[in-house]
Amino acid sequence: MTPSERNKTDVIPSSERHNAPRAGTSPPAGDAPPLDVVQRWFSAVISHPDGVEAGVEAGEAQAFIPLSRHELERVLTRSEKVSARERLSIYANAYYARLIECLSDSFPVLKRTVGEAVFNGFAFGYLQRYPSRTYTLCRLGDNFARYLDETRPDRAPGLAADSKPPLGWPDFLIDLATLEWTIEQVFDGPGVEGKRTLQAEDVLELAPDRWAKARLRTSPALRLLEFRFPVNAFYTLARKADKTAEIPPPGPAESLVAVSRRDYVVRRQELSRPQFALLKAVRQETPLAEAIACAAETCHWSDATLAAHLRGWFRLWAEGQLFIGLDI
Amino acid sequence: MAPARLGHANLGLGVGLRATHFPFILQHWPPVDWFEIISENFMDSRGRPRHVLTQIAERYPIVMHGVSLSIGSTDPLDRAYLSRLKALARDIKPAWISDHICWTGVAGRNTHDLLPIPFTEQTLKHVTQRVRAVQDYLERPFVLENPSSYVQFAGSTMSEAEFVARLAEAADCGLLLDVNNVYVSTFNHDLDPAAFIRSLPHERIVQFHLAGHTNYVTHLIDTHDHHVIDPVWELYRLAHRLTGGVATLLEWDANIPPFPVVHQEVLKAKQFMTERLPLDFTPGERAPAPAGPPPSRENAEWVPHPLHHVLAEVE
Repeated sequence: MTPSERNKTDVIPSSERHNAPRAGTSPPAGDAPPLDVVQRWFSAVISHPDGVEAGVEAGEAQAFIPLSRHELERVLTRSEKVSARERLSIYANAYYARLIECLSDSFPVLKRTVGEAVFNGFAFGYLQRYPSRTYTLCRLGDNFARYLDETRPDRAPGLAADSKPPLGWPDFLIDLATLEWTIEQVFDGPGVEGKRTLQAEDVLELAPDRWAKARLRTSPALRLLEFRFPVNAFYTLARKADKTAEIPPPGPAESLVAVSRRDYVVRRQELSRPQFALLKAVRQETPLAEAIACAAETCHWSDATLAAHLRGWFRLWAEGQLFIGLDI
Repeated sequence: MAPARLGHANLGLGVGLRATHFPFILQHWPPVDWFEIISENFMDSRGRPRHVLTQIAERYPIVMHGVSLSIGSTDPLDRAYLSRLKALARDIKPAWISDHICWTGVAGRNTHDLLPIPFTEQTLKHVTQRVRAVQDYLERPFVLENPSSYVQFAGSTMSEAEFVARLAEAADCGLLLDVNNVYVSTFNHDLDPAAFIRSLPHERIVQFHLAGHTNYVTHLIDTHDHHVIDPVWELYRLAHRLTGGVATLLEWDANIPPFPVVHQEVLKAKQFMTERLPLDFTPGERAPAPAGPPPSRENAEWVPHPLHHVLAEVE
């Protein structure tokens, strides 16, 4: 039996068949394929990376509607001036162009860093591996940093997925993508605007004997990021620089960043290792005394020096509206 | 027979709310009659977009216009999406909720495009059932728009206009007549735009859309990046006369000019609300051939809209 002789509803993969027309429903008029077959075919063709003609003859589309590229007008009509292939190509071109445009909006500094052609190549490959599966474009870039890691050119063939190649340019790009995606998520995610947040004194005036049990609750906007390259400083430079200016990429250096939001604007703060350790522990609702001990483990400061730093940090973080509650 | 506009209000001349205009609107509270929002830009927002919308909804009538319902898809209706849509409607109390007669994806994948459907009895039955289900769930007036299209299916057994008309009657829903989409689609399919508009159930039309498009000589693409062209205004005049006038909304989604320019564009509609001027379109006449060279395809401006994506504000 050739593909063209097969019943078209029989060639829907079993995993996809739940929406196939049920027995007893009215058959479609003429020899038109059922709606779900048409849609699966259409989707396969317009999202094929090599264009409409390749898409029509690729296995996925053939499984739904077996056609050669010359038989396209069996399914789609031409107009007086435009062939069916050209008409369908409008959708195919728009599919990638639209989504690459969205990814460009989400990762503007990454795009500027690698250039439009390279970025578009990343995005094109990404959309093939991770096509959108939600109603919202706000989730389109969810796996972009992961994709860059999975496809990094210095990952030797056969290398286990959890093994780490030497630190290099791909890590910089992955870190930058992670920062930009985090910024976008924090911008439109939950925040503390309109709600009471803690003042520094709420924490600093707490009697030390209560620190063992006191737990701070942090803003839902707070994200703590640990980078291998100073991408936060690079991001700042790139945003301030003229659009045509070349910004040399930095060498590797640890960068710890708190991303949060105040008055609906995303804020970023570079953290020292003790600050990062403290905020990380606080965010996990570790008792305050234990959280401070976590910070102390990362430095060799005297108690007095640490206490002085703590006062400054809590003032800074309270001003940034990082704390929304204190459970004593 | 249903009352004009299905009894819904004529909201006047409105503008599509776009993030780039937030600062101007919040500062000047311009005298625009109403705003239409892209529902997906706000339904999950817990940041500035939603905060701004809350303020605007306190001062202007709002209509929620969606791009992801995928009413024509053979995938099950997305209950999570509908739930978020209903929650947003509960908060901002739109005059009605609209989306497109299209599908956006299948087998769990979303193309984020407004894809065409074959106009068959099977599709009509399928979409009708889904529209009824959506209306029952949303418990609010629901309106469907004719999208721009670039292909038609050989298996279609009726025209788009017949499909739209029968769907509206069978599902008992309202229509959002996108006049520019009529112009774009009928040009692309060698059809008569005036005949399309004349054949609709005019009492079910509760809203018009106007927008600009891009002319590629052999075909048109609905880019929402230009002024409304004169032939579309003439179709608007016809639609206005046939309906008695309904809420009219201008969409501008790419190369968006300052708010006053967009507002001024929709205010031009007032010139076409009189019958004293002659109609350029008569039944049976094709959309006039556009003039001028096509824009470069290298430019991403040709991507059909709407897109719905809000840029982050960061210090």
